[in-house]
Amino acid sequence: MTRKTILAGTSILALGAVAMPAVAQERVPSVEIFTTTESYDPIRYEGAFIIAEAWEELGVDVSVRPMEFSTLLDRFYSEQDFDATILGWSGRVDRLDPQFFLGTLDSRQAELGANNPGGYDNPDYDALYDAQGAEFDIDARQQIVQEMQDLYVPDAPVVVLFNRDEVVAYNNTTFENMNAMAGEALYSEWVPMEAQPLGERATLRIGGPQEPDNVNPLASTSVWGWKWMRLYYDRLVRLSPDVEPVPWAASSVDPVDDVTIDVTLREGMTFHDGEPLTAEDIVFTFNYYMDSDYNYFDSYLAAIDSVEQTGDLSVRFNLSEPSAPFATITLSQIPILPQHLWEGIENPGDLTPDEIPTVGSGPFVFDRYDRGEFMSITTNPDHFHADEIAVDAVEFLIYADAEGVFTALQTGQIDMTAWRLEPGQIPLAEENEELTVVSVPDFGYYHMTFNTRREPFDDRAVRRALSMAMDRERMVNVLLDGRGEVGTSIIAPVNAFWHNAFVERFDYDLDAARAELEEAGYSWDDDGRLQR
Amino acid sequence: MTRRGYLIKRVLQAIFSLWIIATILFFLFRMGLPDPTAALVTEGLNAEQRAAVRAQFGLEEPLWRQYVLFLTNAVQGEFGTSFSYRAPVSEIVWERLANTMILMLAAIVLAYAIGVPLGAWLSWRRGSRTDTAGIFFGLMFRSAPMFWTGMIAILIFGVGLSLFPTSGMRTLPYDADGFFDKIFTLDFLWHAALPVLIVALYYLGSPLLIMRNTMLEVYGEDFIEMARAKGLPERDILYKHAARNALLPVVTQLAVTIGLAAGGQVVVEVVFSWPGLGREILNAVRTSDFPLAQASFLIMAAFVITLNLLVDILYTTLDPRVSFR
Amino acid sequence: MTLPPFLRAAMGPLRIMMQDRLAVIGMCVLGVIIAMALFAPLLSTHDPRHINEIEDGSVLSRGAAGWELQESLGPLALNDAVHQDGISLIVGRGGMGWSREGAGAWSALDLPTGADLHAVALSPEGRAIAVGDGGVILLQDGANWQPVPAPEVNLRGVVWLDADSALMVGTNEDILLLDASSGELSAIDSPVGRDFPLQSVALDVDGTALIVGERGLAIRYDPEDGTAALEQLGSSRDLNHIHIDASGAALVVGERGTLLRRESADSAWSADPAPDTRALRAGWIGDDGSALAAGRNGLIMEWDGSEWAIAQTESERHLRALLVVGDEMLALGSDRFVTRLAPPSREHWFGTDHLGRDLFSQNVHGSQIALLVGFLGATLVVLIGTNVGLIAGYYRGRTETILMRTVDVMYGIPFEPFALILVLLFQPSLTIVILAVSLLTWRTVARLIRSQVLSLRERPFVKAARVAGASDLRIMYLHIFPNVLPLVFLELAIIVGVSIIAEATLSFLGLGPPQAISWGGILHDARLSGAWRTAWWWNLPPGIFIMTTVLSVFFISRSLEVVANPRLRARQ
Repeated sequence: MTRKTILAGTSILALGAVAMPAVAQERVPSVEIFTTTESYDPIRYEGAFIIAEAWEELGVDVSVRPMEFSTLLDRFYSEQDFDATILGWSGRVDRLDPQFFLGTLDSRQAELGANNPGGYDNPDYDALYDAQGAEFDIDARQQIVQEMQDLYVPDAPVVVLFNRDEVVAYNNTTFENMNAMAGEALYSEWVPMEAQPLGERATLRIGGPQEPDNVNPLASTSVWGWKWMRLYYDRLVRLSPDVEPVPWAASSVDPVDDVTIDVTLREGMTFHDGEPLTAEDIVFTFNYYMDSDYNYFDSYLAAIDSVEQTGDLSVRFNLSEPSAPFATITLSQIPILPQHLWEGIENPGDLTPDEIPTVGSGPFVFDRYDRGEFMSITTNPDHFHADEIAVDAVEFLIYADAEGVFTALQTGQIDMTAWRLEPGQIPLAEENEELTVVSVPDFGYYHMTFNTRREPFDDRAVRRALSMAMDRERMVNVLLDGRGEVGTSIIAPVNAFWHNAFVERFDYDLDAARAELEEAGYSWDDDGRLQR
Repeated sequence: MTRRGYLIKRVLQAIFSLWIIATILFFLFRMGLPDPTAALVTEGLNAEQRAAVRAQFGLEEPLWRQYVLFLTNAVQGEFGTSFSYRAPVSEIVWERLANTMILMLAAIVLAYAIGVPLGAWLSWRRGSRTDTAGIFFGLMFRSAPMFWTGMIAILIFGVGLSLFPTSGMRTLPYDADGFFDKIFTLDFLWHAALPVLIVALYYLGSPLLIMRNTMLEVYGEDFIEMARAKGLPERDILYKHAARNALLPVVTQLAVTIGLAAGGQVVVEVVFSWPGLGREILNAVRTSDFPLAQASFLIMAAFVITLNLLVDILYTTLDPRVSFR
Repeated sequence: MTLPPFLRAAMGPLRIMMQDRLAVIGMCVLGVIIAMALFAPLLSTHDPRHINEIEDGSVLSRGAAGWELQESLGPLALNDAVHQDGISLIVGRGGMGWSREGAGAWSALDLPTGADLHAVALSPEGRAIAVGDGGVILLQDGANWQPVPAPEVNLRGVVWLDADSALMVGTNEDILLLDASSGELSAIDSPVGRDFPLQSVALDVDGTALIVGERGLAIRYDPEDGTAALEQLGSSRDLNHIHIDASGAALVVGERGTLLRRESADSAWSADPAPDTRALRAGWIGDDGSALAAGRNGLIMEWDGSEWAIAQTESERHLRALLVVGDEMLALGSDRFVTRLAPPSREHWFGTDHLGRDLFSQNVHGSQIALLVGFLGATLVVLIGTNVGLIAGYYRGRTETILMRTVDVMYGIPFEPFALILVLLFQPSLTIVILAVSLLTWRTVARLIRSQVLSLRERPFVKAARVAGASDLRIMYLHIFPNVLPLVFLELAIIVGVSIIAEATLSFLGLGPPQAISWGGILHDARLSGAWRTAWWWNLPPGIFIMTTVLSVFFISRSLEVVANPRLRARQ
């Protein structure tokens, strides 16, 4: 090569360098997808790799980092130190009310440790969030809730990956009339009350890999604690199997105005130790919870200004502001505690297992709890609902893992599973004549949340394009074996009243994703990497 | 060095080891484990409420104070409250440790009870096909991972033939008046059969081979030749003379094995849903339950160290040839 | 021939090892496994992480015992089928079509397109029309099929309104009307206009056409005035297929087990509770009230007059169409389905796992991690252990005290729980696994080597070297070390075995490096999936591989023991 051509070459390079700034494009920073470990949840783990593969194809540098669940939560919620994270919200009955899930996109919950770690910030959305919470007219509230979904979905701050079906099974030779409930499957509060024994044994045996953190109604912060405790504590209202509020310990709930609600108690109720249940206990319970350090129910209690006794069996709730979910959630979640046992306890959260009063007024009576092994309750013959209950006791057997549970179900040691079957167990259960497999849709959801404060997810177009580059249908078909559905909105389709069926969908379409990016000014370099 | 001096020295050493382990443990955990209150978010608690929980568990204190607190509490046997169970840690840990020890000791005793005579017998049949087969199977079970043999055993004996239960320690519910009542029941033995067998098979190889090899060495010793020359029956030579002299290395190995037994076999506990300490540690670390994980590990280590110490002391008593180093 | 001295020195032990039959077997087996690890990419038949899927023109027929798989109709999925007056037609992906007369055999149609066909319909006169992706419309003309020029819309459903006009629907809310005599196409305005996909169309008894689509969309087209109007069926689910019987009974099926039924032309639509919530793709209803619905993963439901029940099917295939001819009932599919949990076959020698991944390839690849961790871990262990032992034994004094106290501390740490904690606290990775395996194991080696060195340092040759002024390092590594070498090798072999098991254990507990394939990891997957009790082909091989590998290492170590311990040699 002659000197001249070399010079020519450099001048072209130099020219290029001069010209570059005008069109200078930088590669989009590489991103990490955080997900659970394979042992914690193989579905979310494999799902992350399916997503990463498609993003790679779109020219994004992406790596997957599986983490232990607690680390994952820490990075996501407490530190908000993530690019994109795959996690989930479980579908607890009280979350059928849209309040909670909608709140996960409220910009005022975007601080460290709160429920909106992605940092989605949309003032219109926040305004509507407040409006729906104060709206008592259910149809008007539905309008607002659906509008909110139309508002956030096109911004794609979070992608609902899928709603996974809860698949459980029970032994059809020992019990019948086992009706699954949305979000709760078989381990609902109704199944023990409705189950009909078919044989001699009238004791319903439930098996599961989870157990309560504790059975202290002022310390338990897990679903598994409350799922058990609600069987022996009454609430003023219970949610029916169709998730309608029905008066329970209350004989009536009468709204006087937007912020005043009168509750009248059923007559003749007693606690398991024989003491009568009166309005005093109700007032005590609510005040006790509001004054305690126990925060689990705080969001339910937030609307209450004061509770006053208006008669032997009547109570008035004064709210500080109108609260749409008050009757459905607050009254159906707060257990009624006996004043005579709790009033002397100053630091109820510090009780040791032996010191915890386990006396309620519910349809079942606490019997025993052997940590890691076994729990049992017996039917309360004095309860107003006792005539409807056919079982004489309920036992919960605790196993190390889903394997142990399934083996126990197969060998007849338990009558039903409290937790979902693994995909590989489902066909085995279906083949077994004695087992009936029940599949209920979940309104909880698995999501990928983008950190909207970080590049490249601060750009709506990128979020939209990457949402289109997730083969969620494949995840449902391959990973869930078809037992679930591609997510559309944080309010799940099974929650039909609140769900907006007409929100924008991001079907898997890499061409559409590329078009979206191109339109927003992105291009691809010679290596096919995305740049802007 | 006097015997007394030796004992004191060994005990001090053990305490020193324990302190080092406790320190490593503490800092390892604080370094690697995230905030245990993170899990509360999914239950709907906000940041403020979680800060309250953090304060309750002393996580807001400076690190060195947490360390000092941890040490002083540990010395007093006070391990705090389990974060996830909300129950005193020691209560949980001791019961789990007992479960682990029952499983391990039963298995080790079984392995040595079978392995030692079998090894002696194999040495007698040295070079034969039986010998080769014995070595082969002994090593085979030593080579097969226990979680795998355990799974196969569950498949065959539990699910297939329905002979044994596949998980847990006993049929629930049970009522027991005290510790021994918990263990010496047919139901318990029935539950323990498979896991004990699997662990025992794993441990079988070492007494078997050690016994066999030492016996081979012993055969060459003069007193055996003399016994032969006296015309004693071979059987007597084998069991009365040779075996007795070959026992020492096996006992040494037994001591080491028992010393490490408290570490348990986590996989066996997992596969058989055995409520042991190993499984508890696994869960505790997964749920960021500091107090429980730390205490479990520390107590486990303390147990291992104590067992080692006891075995050492016993050993010097039994065998005067071992000098006080 | 003279050998270099070090080789000659090596020959002796080797000869001893060669005399031990078990050791020879061990070396052979280990050799094979090492070869397997080295050539894993060549040996494996599939990509071990690839989810294997099959597309197949599947036909299931209802027999006495349930729905049975029939002979496959080619490698392409079947999408729709129609029957009228003894003629049956099937269309499928890639321009595939089949026809038969009566109950005869299916014969392939020669269709002038390669596009995916999604729907087929027969006119009252028996003229067929098939539609599909990319605006493909094929009209039957005697034995020939004529393409009709059309805009590029993806068509999903078609129905004849009368002998001459056909209505078709597509994925962008397209509704097209074809005049078959002139070939003229006209677009009908949809009442929604939000580009929602329409999936299926059927002719109602009153001569109107009912179209269904995503999000519960139902549109009725009235040929009288040429307008389309929205209708409520009572669901907001994606609707996939509609079938209306001549009697007026009708069935609409959709996602999530959606079943909408109308008993007669005058009665209202009602949603039936479904026994399964998976997607339904095709429905059929007869005039006697019997009905069928078919969908994903071989799901077929039958209506017995009072409720829907899941029928036994022997296949996991995705069903897309139902064909009922007299007593004969056929269900057709199948777009790509995962070959999950397949037993060993020619294609998959060791079968497949729950995600249809090839297990033979996984097992072959698994040897890499096992050997890597085994040898790397063991080397590290022996390296640390030997040096600590050498230094402690040689220098004695304070150095020894410090080192041996460290070893004592190490002995207080239970191995498995510590490894768990280490891996759990830090991100699982290969380095951490190797570190976890080696960090505690060196203690045994250190103790053993030290006691050997203690006796060696008093030997005359060491003293002689010292007198000759050799440096400490020189004495340690040139004079003492060669004498503990046999012991080092013995320990190395044992620890290779221990490390392999330790790695398998960690992987089995799900603490191995993510996305790495290892034998323990395969067993972890098997147990996690819940399928391990039936899928023996998933369970057995990894365990056997671990066992044989470790066993062969132990066999070798046994003969090394003989080398290291001459007393043993004399007695053999």
